[in-house]
Amino acid sequence: MSRGYLPFALRRAGQAVLVILLAYVATFVVISVLPGDPVTATLRNPQNGFTEEQIARIVSYYGLDRPVLVQLWEALSRFVTGDLGVSLRSNRPVADMIGEVVPSTLVLAGASLGLALLLAFGIAFGVRYLPRPFGPALRSVPSLFLSVPGFLVGLLLIQIFSFGLGLFRAIDADSPWATFFAALTLGVWVSAQVAEVLIANLDREAEQDYAGVARARGLGQARLLLRHLLKPSALPVVTVLAVMIGEVLGGAVITEAVFGRTGLGSLVESSVASQDLPVLQAVVSLAAVVFVLVNLLADLVYPLLDPRVTVVRPEARVAVA
Amino acid sequence: MTTSRTARRVPRARRLVQAAIGILTTVLVATACAGGGAQSAGSGTPQDGGDLTFLIDSLGDTWIPNNSAISSFQGHIWGHVTDKLVYVDENGKTSPWIATSWDQNADATEFTLHLRSGVTFSDGTPLDAAAVVANLDMWSKGDASRGIQPIGLFPKTYKAAEVVDPATVKVTFTSPTLGFIPTLGYHGSILISPKSLALPADQQADLKNDIGSGPYVVESWKDSDSVVLKKRPDYDWAPPVLSHQGPARIDTITYKQVSEQQVRTSSVQSGQADVAYNPSPKELESFKTQGFGVAAPRYLGFVNGFAINTKVAPFDDVKVRQALQHGIDRQEILNTVYTPDWLAATSFIQSNVPGATDHSADFAFDAAKAESLLDEAGWAKGPDGTRAKNGTPLALTLYPNPYLATSKAVDELVAQQLRKIGFKVDLQAFDVVTYGQRIKVGSPTVPAYEITRSFIDAGTVGGVLTDANKGENWFGVGQSDQKLTQLATDVAGASDPNARNTQLDELQGYVLDQGYFVPLTQIVQRLYLQSPRVHDVTYNGLAYANYYTAWIGDQR
Repeated sequence: MSRGYLPFALRRAGQAVLVILLAYVATFVVISVLPGDPVTATLRNPQNGFTEEQIARIVSYYGLDRPVLVQLWEALSRFVTGDLGVSLRSNRPVADMIGEVVPSTLVLAGASLGLALLLAFGIAFGVRYLPRPFGPALRSVPSLFLSVPGFLVGLLLIQIFSFGLGLFRAIDADSPWATFFAALTLGVWVSAQVAEVLIANLDREAEQDYAGVARARGLGQARLLLRHLLKPSALPVVTVLAVMIGEVLGGAVITEAVFGRTGLGSLVESSVASQDLPVLQAVVSLAAVVFVLVNLLADLVYPLLDPRVTVVRPEARVAVA
Repeated sequence: MTTSRTARRVPRARRLVQAAIGILTTVLVATACAGGGAQSAGSGTPQDGGDLTFLIDSLGDTWIPNNSAISSFQGHIWGHVTDKLVYVDENGKTSPWIATSWDQNADATEFTLHLRSGVTFSDGTPLDAAAVVANLDMWSKGDASRGIQPIGLFPKTYKAAEVVDPATVKVTFTSPTLGFIPTLGYHGSILISPKSLALPADQQADLKNDIGSGPYVVESWKDSDSVVLKKRPDYDWAPPVLSHQGPARIDTITYKQVSEQQVRTSSVQSGQADVAYNPSPKELESFKTQGFGVAAPRYLGFVNGFAINTKVAPFDDVKVRQALQHGIDRQEILNTVYTPDWLAATSFIQSNVPGATDHSADFAFDAAKAESLLDEAGWAKGPDGTRAKNGTPLALTLYPNPYLATSKAVDELVAQQLRKIGFKVDLQAFDVVTYGQRIKVGSPTVPAYEITRSFIDAGTVGGVLTDANKGENWFGVGQSDQKLTQLATDVAGASDPNARNTQLDELQGYVLDQGYFVPLTQIVQRLYLQSPRVHDVTYNGLAYANYYTAWIGDQR
């Protein structure tokens, strides 16, 4: 496994940097093709009564009147030195704004992934263990979870547990209960995708010869599952989770809006609404960093969990499995 | 600003679900409250103390005072953290505040402000003549080198302000500016410590650094999340016209951003918060019957309506313009889109503006009259009900104003009403950005520009109608209509308030008689749903709720 590991790691790191830079440029391009900018959108509101000269002066302060390529080049050269710039919406340093919201989103993402795993394993085990008709009925739960929109789950949870039962104050977004229900809202949706993979893999592994041999040796369902089926079935879950990170960040936009949490999701929402380019570029780059890191981690963990996986380049690969 | 520019489009499915949840919520909460009996209204003895939670759709964008003070959202916070030179009440009446009195010269080009002594900003800096001059200069000019905007509606005729002595400021203008004193009560004109004004933009953008002299100070804040205000114990310079003086009664006010409307209103209904901003107009009646307070104060400004471009055929014909006025059933708009808290227009300015007079007879709904006006103008009804003249159909395109949330619904109804009298009406809706670029008042492609605009002084009216003195030329007549130009110039440049009221009355009558403006309804820009335990809230001329005078009772 160690042979070829360094080139592998370097190659992946290089790809990661490329992905992040591309994400930064792509965000710029997407926002730039939209008409207008946040500064003139506010200034042009007839309520505000600005003259054209006043508008031109402010727009030129922000450099928004210069050619797009010049703007991109300046933004990019600042970015590579670690300067994220200043928000066009709030006029505050982008780094400060992101620093403020990251902890809240980390808590939400962590808690929802934890709850999602609990739910997913619960459902998958239930499918295998519970007697008819409960076990088979559980099979349809993931598709149900997937098809119910997150904002509906969130509003219903708030409705029942906050306004109905008075368990928590809906507007204290960071209280433990509010965090739990927000994480549940997001987790339900993530759990569905994990559960589907897990159920399919358990089904497949249970059909394998080794499982048949184990059963013939008189192994009970529980020990069979825990000692033999679980590990190979759980492997793809690692991949799914790595991919899900992006979706958790996306789902956070809606969950945070419903629960009134201030996080990366709500920052993205307000930045998109106001076309706040510097913040969007920074958040997209951050998401790219997280995404790349998590996938890298998954790639690195994989060979440890499954000795059949190697890191040798495809052309040099010898049949190992 | 009318509604926020972040107003998002909500998909239909989501709206339906939200509506369903709304009904569910109302039923649940109504059941829960059923045993509570009726509260509210009754005042009782004011009590000190308590904490108020105000749920707001958004906390706006930047906190640089000049750039944010007139935001429909941030204005709530500034109203408690800062003071103004004069106070303008909900009837548009101007009264002393930090300026205890003022004088002006005969032609209203020079004003002297006499300041209250002993007023300090919460950083200890005295609010004296030097501080007032620093603020006036900043409102008027901003600082482009730091990205700080001027206050857009501050009189562009401002020349200079100078310190006469620590309690006296002299302000001069290039031409008569009667609107100056009322503008000092406008939401942009908040007094900020000179130390804060000197900070670079990114530091002014941190609300903690923006120091005012108001009854509350900023305890803490988090971007797009919340602002917590704490009362200032040594505050003793409230507007004398208010019922309460001295420090505020409520200890803290928390403005919490909750973007979901249902969560805001349900939180107040279930007693988890005290005030919800911008509840759904359609739910107001049911909130009232449940014993909750509902406030729908009007701001001062133009009514919602159309400025007609007389350069665009067939609106160059006064009879066609008058037909538009008489073809619109305003009561049906109120009944369908709004609630009894809204009022029909009685002029083209809101009826609470000082000097507004009732001209509703000039444009009353009368479909038969509208049809006969069109007949007289030579527009004959075809078999499909659409009128035409020389083969040209009687067409009108409406562009709903994206800054007013109800605009599209109103325009759809107007389109239906006008189709009945033979107009061929199209509706084209744009987002805020595209609208700002394409739809301009007086543009040859825009026959009817939908107006929603607040002002603090009726002098504004005279300044926008024609193109005299860089006016906005709302009706495309330039200065070709001598009577309009004369009346508008008189109102804009008036130096005597009483004479101006007469001119303003004549101007309103003339504009409406000529069909230049087609009024729809008066605008309620801010709506409040309030817990019955909150008493004695004051609303100012900009329809902002002021909790300085308010107190919190025990009963839920």
